[in-house]
Amino acid sequence: MLKQLLKKQLLEMFQNFFVDRKKNKGRSKASSTMMIVGYFVFICVVFGALFSFFASSLLPVVDKGYDWMFFCFMGIIAVAMGAFGSIFNTYSGLYLAKDNDMLLSMPIPVGYIMASRLLGVYIMGTLYSALVIIPAVVVYLSHSFTVKALIGSILLVIIISLIVMVLACSLGWVVAKINSKLKNKSLITVIVSLAFLAIYYVFYFKANEIIRKIIANADAYGTKIKGSAYPLYVFGKVGSGDILSALIVLVIVGALCALTYYIIAHSFIKIATSSQNVSKKKYTEKRVKSKSVDAALLGKELQRFFSSPNYILNCGLGILILIGAGVFVLIKGEWLADNIAWMLGSENYICVAAASLICLIASMNDMSAPSISLEGKNIWLAQSLPITSWQAIRAKRSMHLLLTGIPAIICSICAIIALKPTILGAIMIIAMPLVFILFFSMLGLVLNLKYPNLKWTNEITPIKQSMSVFVSMFGGWIYSIIIFAIYFPLSGRISGEIYLIGAAAFTGLLCLALDSWLKKKGTKIFAEL
Amino acid sequence: MLKIEHLTKIYGDYKAVDDLSLHIAPGEIYGFIGHNGAGKTTTLKSVVGILQFDEGEIFIDGTSVKSDPIKCKKEIAYIPDNPDIYEFMTGIKYLNFVADIFGVSSSDRQEKIRKYAELFELTADLAQPISTYSHGMKQKLAIISAWIHNPKLIIMDEPFVGLDPKAAHILKGMMREVCDNGGAIFFSTHVLEVAEKLCDKIAIIKEGKLIRSGTMEEVKGDDSLEEVFLELEEE
Repeated sequence: MLKQLLKKQLLEMFQNFFVDRKKNKGRSKASSTMMIVGYFVFICVVFGALFSFFASSLLPVVDKGYDWMFFCFMGIIAVAMGAFGSIFNTYSGLYLAKDNDMLLSMPIPVGYIMASRLLGVYIMGTLYSALVIIPAVVVYLSHSFTVKALIGSILLVIIISLIVMVLACSLGWVVAKINSKLKNKSLITVIVSLAFLAIYYVFYFKANEIIRKIIANADAYGTKIKGSAYPLYVFGKVGSGDILSALIVLVIVGALCALTYYIIAHSFIKIATSSQNVSKKKYTEKRVKSKSVDAALLGKELQRFFSSPNYILNCGLGILILIGAGVFVLIKGEWLADNIAWMLGSENYICVAAASLICLIASMNDMSAPSISLEGKNIWLAQSLPITSWQAIRAKRSMHLLLTGIPAIICSICAIIALKPTILGAIMIIAMPLVFILFFSMLGLVLNLKYPNLKWTNEITPIKQSMSVFVSMFGGWIYSIIIFAIYFPLSGRISGEIYLIGAAAFTGLLCLALDSWLKKKGTKIFAEL
Repeated sequence: MLKIEHLTKIYGDYKAVDDLSLHIAPGEIYGFIGHNGAGKTTTLKSVVGILQFDEGEIFIDGTSVKSDPIKCKKEIAYIPDNPDIYEFMTGIKYLNFVADIFGVSSSDRQEKIRKYAELFELTADLAQPISTYSHGMKQKLAIISAWIHNPKLIIMDEPFVGLDPKAAHILKGMMREVCDNGGAIFFSTHVLEVAEKLCDKIAIIKEGKLIRSGTMEEVKGDDSLEEVFLELEEE
């Protein structure tokens, strides 16, 4: 029974690798293998390179004999990455899964249901933390390989994955408890998550400074940690191959896992079935202004977006970051302009750098990419109401444009005020990101129509684990970097402004192609979903 | 009001609906019965434009569903077998959304919402998110949303499932009222007693083919509908 539940959970998490949603049938072994290998290679290249670089910059502490400090530092980052990445997976995976009621009604021990759900949490947490700790281990072992260190590193990876699960479960449990008591769940969940994210980003941006300080004062930090945060010292020692430390940490983490399981097991049914606990809001009749069909559809899309913390946090973070970046540029504009000109050797780059950076941040918003899949079982409504498929698709595009375009314009205006480009440059700092956003709003829809998933049991599946979201987000990053990079060989021949006109025109042509595809083929696919 | 001509719907190699023809006149409550998987839902979904069909034609008040689906959809309302409606909305927001799509004026929608929400005792819950509704409450909300734009033709798939006896009684009255005002109802059901008492005409579908249709007397004669249905199923 447990085996079947685990199988179901794994299939749900990784179904895109094994099921072709378009043809509604299983993929061939070769196709599945190719997808898994492709995904793996991509992740290894992007995150492997990033965190290998990060870990390499910490190697001087290893040379000073503080191997444990290297693992302690990288381990903390891995734990933070894993826990942050999987809190909401945990909450929605454990308590909001749509098949909870069905499974609870079956003769299945609650422990089995939880174990299968926890496996999902464990795998997601492990994957997130592995993005950091595996490159760190590889960097360390390439630098100073010993068999003991190899064993210690393997144990550390396991320990980190368990700590991540404990943290994710505990925080997910807290989120679930808060959610069962409060009315404005989405808002509070988003605020709490953003607080976590803010801490994460502060840490991320301060990382270089922290590393520099650690390397310079390794002895002092070493003594301080040993004196006042001894568990961190023991934790770091695991990676360097200290078997006794590994055993101690494993026992402690094992006990924490048992305690977490005990707490969750005792509240699982109560929380998973507590949707009716919130006090009722009484309806009072108010005069309502009627809306046009397009306004009603757009309103529906916006309500869908703002009703789900998962949707907001995974597909809409760019909204805040764009505004935050705008404020940052306003404050540090002069410093930024000087640095861009100094680093790249010409003021020509300022417009291109500003536009590409805004595009890069805007690509963190990919709300159109899962929007078709998110219709789920409600798809019959869009198909049976007197609206065209194009109106339904267009509303999703408008939602993306509105939620990303307005913050992008704010960010662009801030950049213009701070960087003082030419008039043409100013126009292009606004226009280029807008065309880019239009392109990615449509690319997300195209990809989601090509790879739809309407049969999810947990909304996190289309939001976080879908091909359309993955390609849209990383595609956006790559495209913005390409916009910036292509200008290097051209910078001596054309101005940044003229280059941006060309880039925007090219992106505009791509927009026309996608628009035509959506109108002709996309609408047909939507009608037949 | 509704003309289905030689409707055929194929899934891969399987004919879910095979050359089905039916005519429903204004003022008629037309029941549609058949075993599970007989093709009832496929037929209803084809009528409301959710499913594209392979052969045949469907006309709503003289307009082809194939050539002018939007015009047809404006004249009809559909209630599916499972009321999967937008759970992220509150009841009132959902009703206003549907009213906006059908272009119902503010005063008209307010009057309808007030009338039907009171009838179904749903008024107090309209400000609640639909995610907190029971199956029956969702069904009631789906019914109110179907009635909000005065449709000429109402298509319902198992409309009585999940409704309490009082709500089921109210719904029957509402169905009759639509037909008395010149509209028509086409609905599927497994509750043969309801079909027998409520319907003016009945159609029985088996393995995608229409095996009998007509007025209640023509279909069942002196027997009960249950007897006729079971007899036809066994043939």
